[in-house]
Amino acid sequence: MSENLSMNDLSIAGTPSTPAISTDAASGVLSLSGDSYPENSFELFGPVITWVENYLSETDAPLRLELELLYLNTSSVKAVMEIFDTLEAAHARGRDVSVNWYFDQNNERVGELAEEFKEDCTFPFAVIGRP
Amino acid sequence: MTGKDGDLDARIATLLADPQYEGHPLREALDALRVRMACQLARIEKITAVSDGFQMMARHRELSMAEQFDRQLKRLSKIVAISDRYQEVLRDQNQAVIDASYHDALTELLNRRGLSERLRERCDLAVREARGFCVAMVDVDHFKQVNDTYGHQAGDRALVALGRVMTTELPEYGFCGRWGGEEFVIVLEDPDLLAARATLERLLAAIRDMRVPVGDSSLALTVSVGVAQHKPGEALALTLNRADIALYDAKQSGRNSLGLERQQT
Repeated sequence: MSENLSMNDLSIAGTPSTPAISTDAASGVLSLSGDSYPENSFELFGPVITWVENYLSETDAPLRLELELLYLNTSSVKAVMEIFDTLEAAHARGRDVSVNWYFDQNNERVGELAEEFKEDCTFPFAVIGRP
Repeated sequence: MTGKDGDLDARIATLLADPQYEGHPLREALDALRVRMACQLARIEKITAVSDGFQMMARHRELSMAEQFDRQLKRLSKIVAISDRYQEVLRDQNQAVIDASYHDALTELLNRRGLSERLRERCDLAVREARGFCVAMVDVDHFKQVNDTYGHQAGDRALVALGRVMTTELPEYGFCGRWGGEEFVIVLEDPDLLAARATLERLLAAIRDMRVPVGDSSLALTVSVGVAQHKPGEALALTLNRADIALYDAKQSGRNSLGLERQQT
């Protein structure tokens, strides 16, 4: 399969209200970290969702999400759930997809929220507390 | 087809087959009508079959739409639940920020903003209860020398220690805070100046006994205090001003002492 030809990797610097977003099609990793209450979450997450869909349709390689998200507003919650739905569908087709969601152990509630996201996901989903 | 319709069909068939009506114009017309009716009936049956199928399709679609609806509803309630929890986190963080903005980062006592807020509330209560309270201004004696001699870190530790002594020595009711620099404010519930003096004299003694370790040795502090009584309804600034003057008097009389507000003449 011809990889990466149409895969434009994303690299968006974080701001106080938007997470840092980066993708690496070569190693199959999507990373999101920081707070997320953007003015326009469709504008912010649209390209991310498109990237995930393209990656899953254009490669056979595994996809791993590295998340370190803190506060999410409602539309960001919806966008993240949409990404997880896409992963869930890919997992059902036999694709190797996984999520690692890291949180600061001092901020336990972020971990609890990650667990809540995890609830209906059947693909590997690790919620990892860091000291 | 009903029994009556069946009888009619049979009668028509018998009449048409009867040779005595052969060549009669009504017989031909009846025959033609019968053929047309049969065609119409076939058409109606076809349409019914099609519409039955359409209804089946519609019912299937409705079912899958209901499933989709259920799934979306489940998803939506999950989004709402998660979003609500994020909002809770945010509200708690907001409360933590408010708490922090009312407290002094070094001594963890109320800061000037926190003191002002609590004093305003206390003044309102004084009006409602028609009962005053006492305010004491506390200033560390020669604090600049402490800093110059032992360093700012030792000075900071001395302020922290002082804050701790104040909170442990003061009565349960009332409050204290850091007004700024080496100046503190204490609020005592009892409006009686003499009762306030007794309480504060004990505090002064505790502060005199306090030792703050510095390297191999330790430092000691003294403070001067000015006390004034807040009268219900009066401007807080006036009370603080009288406490300030009393503090000035205490400093003038040699520090390490307590001054009561001057009696009005």
